[in-house]
Amino acid sequence: MKRRDFFKVSIAASTAIVGSSLSAGETTQPITGRSISKFTFPEKKPMITYSDRPPLLEAPRDVFTQSLTPNDEFFVRWHLPDIPTYIDPDTYTIKIDGLVERELNISLKSLKHDFEQVEVTAVLQCGGNSRSAFHPIPGGIQWGSGAMGCAKWKGVRLSDILDRAGLKKNAQWIGFNGLEKAAYYKTPNFVRELHLEELDDHVILAYEMNGEDLPYLNGYPLRLVLPGYYSDSWVKMMSHITVTNKYKSLFFMDEAYRVPDNKTESETPEKHFKPTKPIAKMNVKSVIGYPLEGAKISHNSQLVVRGVAFDSGLGIKDVKISLDDGKTWESSLLDNNAGRYAYKAFRFSFKPSTYGKINIMAKAINRLGEEQPLAKDILWNHGGYKYNGIDVVTIEVV
Amino acid sequence: MMIKKLILLVGLVSSTLFAQVKSEVEVPYVSYEIKMGKGFDAVNGNCLMCHSFGYIINQGPQSREFWKKKIDKMITHFKAPIDEKSQKIILDYLYKHYGNGKLK
Repeated sequence: MKRRDFFKVSIAASTAIVGSSLSAGETTQPITGRSISKFTFPEKKPMITYSDRPPLLEAPRDVFTQSLTPNDEFFVRWHLPDIPTYIDPDTYTIKIDGLVERELNISLKSLKHDFEQVEVTAVLQCGGNSRSAFHPIPGGIQWGSGAMGCAKWKGVRLSDILDRAGLKKNAQWIGFNGLEKAAYYKTPNFVRELHLEELDDHVILAYEMNGEDLPYLNGYPLRLVLPGYYSDSWVKMMSHITVTNKYKSLFFMDEAYRVPDNKTESETPEKHFKPTKPIAKMNVKSVIGYPLEGAKISHNSQLVVRGVAFDSGLGIKDVKISLDDGKTWESSLLDNNAGRYAYKAFRFSFKPSTYGKINIMAKAINRLGEEQPLAKDILWNHGGYKYNGIDVVTIEVV
Repeated sequence: MMIKKLILLVGLVSSTLFAQVKSEVEVPYVSYEIKMGKGFDAVNGNCLMCHSFGYIINQGPQSREFWKKKIDKMITHFKAPIDEKSQKIILDYLYKHYGNGKLK
């Protein structure tokens, strides 16, 4: 999708929320406070665990007080069951072929030494993050708010690699494939295709995350980093890049990770809307990391609400907090800028002056003026994608 | 002096991390508490090949049609070789134990 089109769509999505005749139930806050598993996965602390094969791990909410998500609490989502359990970094290579002047096999060592090394801090979020907010329950893992994270990624620009290979004149699509494999050889590979237009200089092949090698479960030794886009195209354990002039019909492109191609990106459970479009870029969102739902806070204490906010890279301008169910809003303090694709950490301090329950609400607003809608105003889609409701945490002042 | 020590320490830490992926990693096996009942053997024999029971349990309660479409998706898109008899048995099982009481 062209950048201009995206603006149109997202503005429409955030304003046109009236006059629906949907039978879908009201969208609520996503499930919160799910328990941490007693199982630990390689290089991870115990996390909310939905599946071991393929591994699906969610970060607990309190991680979202930090503007960088620690590698050992960074969410994990694979699509196919067979992931290599051993990779030799000394022999690992990535192949670039198709419509190129020179086919390349680049070793990890060569990537780290023969190309310009660049860094970008960017949010990685599953398109189905917060899916449990939708009713009726859409198919898919019922994520709370923790299928997201923000890291400082280090690697090599994709454009530098493609330049080295030399794109032929008719090159249009770039296909990315990683090493995860299905149980049956007939199952389609998890291949993603992106149009050349979508690939700017911020797109990198990353081998480092927050100053360490990528964790195995986050795609060691190499993954695609597509700042501003949902994580479905951030291919892990990247092994093969193919340049073509024609879009191939692929399950993971044509069926999964798509929303209705209409103004509100919505539909009814009875009648799914066609055509659909890729979920593509992220909408504006915030999540409160502290305090947690149900926390009991003493009447006399100074409470600092903390959380993170982000969008597709336009940049967060403000995160407003309401303590009176949305009647009045006050701006929070935002942290230093780690770039437009990074989390903006926010903090808001207050002294609870009443006893009983308080709903703490957080609403992020970006530079274009797009803001998070109330959860109840978010319309349903059958994949349960792109939830970005105003975050609400209820505490009790005692 | 202090700074030099720190740098050395950082060096050691990162080499340890590196070592962790130099050898084979092990993803733990999680035993999900899936409900037992008629048809479970077909679920065990067909579904577990590609994914854990976590995938079933964590879809939330769903309609019969939803589960039918999921089975169809596994066959059409993921090429799972599930014969027709087993499809029906699996559907009955899923709807009974992980259904929401609605046909559609």
